[in-house]
Amino acid sequence: MMTALAINFAFAGGYQVRLQGNKNTGMGLTGTALNMGSSSIFYNPGALTMMSQKLDFSLGASAILSNVTFEKSGSNYQAQTDNKPSTPFYVYGAGKINDKWSVGIGIYTPYGSASVWDDNWAGKLLIQNIALRAIFYQPTVAYKINDKIGIGAGLVYATGKVTIEKGLNYSATSKATLEGNAASIGFNAGVYFTPTEKLAVGIDYRSKINMDVKDGDATFTLPSALYNTLPADNKFDASLPLPANLDFGVSYKASDKLLLSLELNWVMWGTYDSLKFTFKEKGELLNSSNPRLYKDSFIPRFGAQYKLNDMVCLRAGGYYDPTPTNEDYFTPETVSLNTIAFTLGLSVTPVKNLTIDLSYLQLSGIKAEKSYTPDNFSGTFKSTAAIPGLGLSYRF
Amino acid sequence: MKYKIVVIALLFVGMWACKPELNEFKASKGSADFSVYMSAGNSLTAGYADGALYKSGQQGSYANLLAKQFEQVGRQGDFKIPFVESEDGVGNRGAGLVTKMKMGFSTDCKGTTSLAPVLANPNASQAELFALLTTSVAANGPYNNIGVPGAKVAHLLAPGYGTLNPFFGRFASSATASVVSEIAAVSPTFFTLWIGNNDVLGYATSGGIGDVITPIDGPPGQGFAASYEAVLQSFGQFASSGAVANIPDITSIPFFTTVPYNAIVLTDQSIVDFINSQYAAYNQGMELVGLPYRINFSLGQNPMVIADNTIPIPDGVPIPKIRQIKSGELVLLSIPQDSLKCAYWGTAKAVADQYILTEAEIANVTAAVTAYNQVIAVAAETHNLALVDANANMKKLASGGIRVDGVTFTNAFVTGNVFSTDGVHLTPQGNALVANYFIDAINAKYNANIPQVNVTEYPAVVLP
Repeated sequence: MMTALAINFAFAGGYQVRLQGNKNTGMGLTGTALNMGSSSIFYNPGALTMMSQKLDFSLGASAILSNVTFEKSGSNYQAQTDNKPSTPFYVYGAGKINDKWSVGIGIYTPYGSASVWDDNWAGKLLIQNIALRAIFYQPTVAYKINDKIGIGAGLVYATGKVTIEKGLNYSATSKATLEGNAASIGFNAGVYFTPTEKLAVGIDYRSKINMDVKDGDATFTLPSALYNTLPADNKFDASLPLPANLDFGVSYKASDKLLLSLELNWVMWGTYDSLKFTFKEKGELLNSSNPRLYKDSFIPRFGAQYKLNDMVCLRAGGYYDPTPTNEDYFTPETVSLNTIAFTLGLSVTPVKNLTIDLSYLQLSGIKAEKSYTPDNFSGTFKSTAAIPGLGLSYRF
Repeated sequence: MKYKIVVIALLFVGMWACKPELNEFKASKGSADFSVYMSAGNSLTAGYADGALYKSGQQGSYANLLAKQFEQVGRQGDFKIPFVESEDGVGNRGAGLVTKMKMGFSTDCKGTTSLAPVLANPNASQAELFALLTTSVAANGPYNNIGVPGAKVAHLLAPGYGTLNPFFGRFASSATASVVSEIAAVSPTFFTLWIGNNDVLGYATSGGIGDVITPIDGPPGQGFAASYEAVLQSFGQFASSGAVANIPDITSIPFFTTVPYNAIVLTDQSIVDFINSQYAAYNQGMELVGLPYRINFSLGQNPMVIADNTIPIPDGVPIPKIRQIKSGELVLLSIPQDSLKCAYWGTAKAVADQYILTEAEIANVTAAVTAYNQVIAVAAETHNLALVDANANMKKLASGGIRVDGVTFTNAFVTGNVFSTDGVHLTPQGNALVANYFIDAINAKYNANIPQVNVTEYPAVVLP
C-alpha cells in the first residue's frame, strides 16, 4: 500500500533522510538509545529486545515541502526549485518470540533526493531535475543477552530508482534523460545497553550500500541532425553510494515524565568520491566522471519527551547537520547546506494500545556561496524545508 | 496546553510558505555614468553573424546585451539599433549579396551528404537583397549602436563613408556624415569601442592578397594610431567613461583553423607514385637552381601543394612557383571543398594564394595585431578607459578553451559555441561571453558592479 505513494524525497545532509519513525522525528530524529517500539528496527535493532509489549506495529509518513533559492555569483539572476512534496514512509512490525528472542521486519526509505529546477534555468547544463528514491526491506532478529544488554541485526535488501534530466548545449530543448533501477544488500546491527534504570546507551551501524544501475535507459532529445552521432536511445551504467552510518546515543529518564536523548551520527559520506556514467553506445563521447569528493559528516542531535498524562506525550528536539559536500564540487543536483533543524512532536493515545504520532520538522539551510568548478558554475544557495508527519502505532 | 502546541506547530508550518530569500548582489555604477550608452565598432559590434546582418543577430550583439545589463546601473531610454527587418538578412560575399547561412545538409561532388553551413535562402534575388541593404532607416535614428560591418578605424572618421559602405549608408543621418559625426545626436555618457579587426582581417581573409594592413603611422584617416586617437576624442567630447577592446589574434579564429594544412589523404600507393612522378621534374629543377623546395607525397595525410609567388626562382627558369604548405601555415575556410575533393586541388593543381595564409603573411598579421594592441592599451590608459583584453581571452579559447556554466567555449568551428557559421563572427552565446568580458573590465576599472549575462540563456550554432 505504502509503496504506491509518490516518493520523491528531499533530504538532510547529502541525500539521506532519517524520517523513520514519527516519535523519533519529534525528538530531533534520535533513536539509537531509545526504546520507541518497532521503529528500533531502523534506529537500533538491539533495542527491539526491550519492547514493553509482545507485538508492536507502526507505520507513518512525512511530507517534505522544500524550497531552494539560488543567486548566481556576479549577477542578480535568481532561480528557485519547484519541488513537489515528497513522502518518505515507514512500516514496521515486531514481536517477541520468547524472553530472549525478538523478530521484526521493516520497510523504510532512508535515502532520497528530489530537486526540480526550471528546464531553462542558468544551471540547466548541470541539472534540470533529479529524483532518487531508495526503499529498504529489513528482516531483523534481536537477542537479549541479559536484562541490560540487547543486540540485534537485520539484513537490508534495498531497491532504488533514479531519474536525472540535464540540458545539453545543442539547442534550447536538448536534454539527456537518464532513468535506472538498482537493487543491493547490506545490513543494520546495533547494541542497546541499559546500565541503570534511567540510563540507556546505544550503538548502531548501518552498512554502506552501493546502488549500481545497470543498463538504465538514457534518452537524448537532440536536433535531428545529431542523431547520426548520438543515438536517441542508449543504455547507461552508474553507481551511487548510500553511505555507512555509525550512530552513538545516550538517553536519560530525568523523571517519570521527562526523557532526554542525545546522539551523534557519523555518516561516512567520504565514500562518495565521484559520480560516473558509462554508456553502452558512443561511450567515447558520453562517458563522464564527475567529482563529488564528499567528506564524512558528524551530526549532533538532542531530543526530549514529556509525558503530560496517559493520553498525551509532547516532544521537541533539534540537530545540526553539516554539509558533506566539497566546497569546489557543490552541484545543484543535491543542494546540501549546513542545516539547523528544530522538531516538535505530539502523541495521542485515544484508546488503549493505539497511538497517533504527529511530528513536525523545520530545516533551515544556512546560505552559502558554492561552486562546481569543473563547470565554472557558482552562486549562493539557501534552503528551507517543512516536514509534517503522521504515524500510527499499535501494540499489545 | 495541547492546543497551544498545535498552534505553535501551525506557525512553524507557516514559516515554510516563505521561500528562502537571497539578496546578495548589489548593483553599482561605481564612478562611471551609464545614463546614455553608445557602442561603436565593426561587424562584431553590429551583431553581424552567419555571414549576414539580420535582426535576431543584431539583437544578440554584445552591445545590446551590455545595454540591457547597464539598465541595472542607471542606463535610461531605448538602446536604438538600426535593424535589418529580416531574419534571413543580407551579407556581402564579395561576388554578390547573400542571405545569412544556417546549418543544413549539403551534398559534395562525391555524392556524400553532410552537415554544413548552407544559405538560409539561396533563391533570394540580388535586387531584393540590395533593397534590404540600402533602404535607409536613418529616419528612426539617432542610433545607439553604430557598429558598421566592414569598417576599419580610419573609416569611422571619413565623411560620406555611407556612400562607400551601405552598411553605414543605410543608417547614416546624411550623405556626408561620418560614423563619429553620429555621436553628437546621442551624446553618450558611456561608450564602448571595438575597432581595428578589419585593419588586418581583410588582408588575412583574402590570403594576404586582397587588402593591405593599415599602417600604424600616418595622419588621422590613414594611420591606425592617429585614427584611433581621433575616434576616442570624438567620444571624449561627450562621454566621461567607456571601454575599449583590443584585437584578438585573428589567425586563431575558425576561418583559419578549420581546414587542416594536410587535408590531402591518399590511400592508394599507385596514386602516390603517380603524383610523385608528376613532380619529379619540379624536384630536379629545384635541385638544379639550389632551392630547398621539394614536393613529395606518401600514404596518409599530405600537405597541400600551394602557389607561392615569393619563391625566388631565377628569371627564365621554367619551374612553377609552387610548394607544399608547411604545418604552421593556414588554409582558409573559403577554400572550395569540392575542388579539394574532386578537382585535384592541392595535388595536381596548386591551391591559389587567396586561400592560404603563408608563414610570412601570418607574421605580418601577428605583428600588426601586436602593434595595434599597443596603441589600444596606451590609448585606454591615456583616456582612462576600461580595456577588454580580447586577445588574451582568444588565446584561452584557442588553447583548450574555457567553461562557463557548463558550456565549453573554444575556437572550434560550429562545435566551439563562440563562432557562428561564417567562422569569423560570434554566436549569441559567444556574444554573451564577450559581454561578460566587457562587464568584468568595466567593473574593475570603475569600481562598478554590473550583473553578468547568463550564457546559457543564449543559443550557440543552431543545428537542424
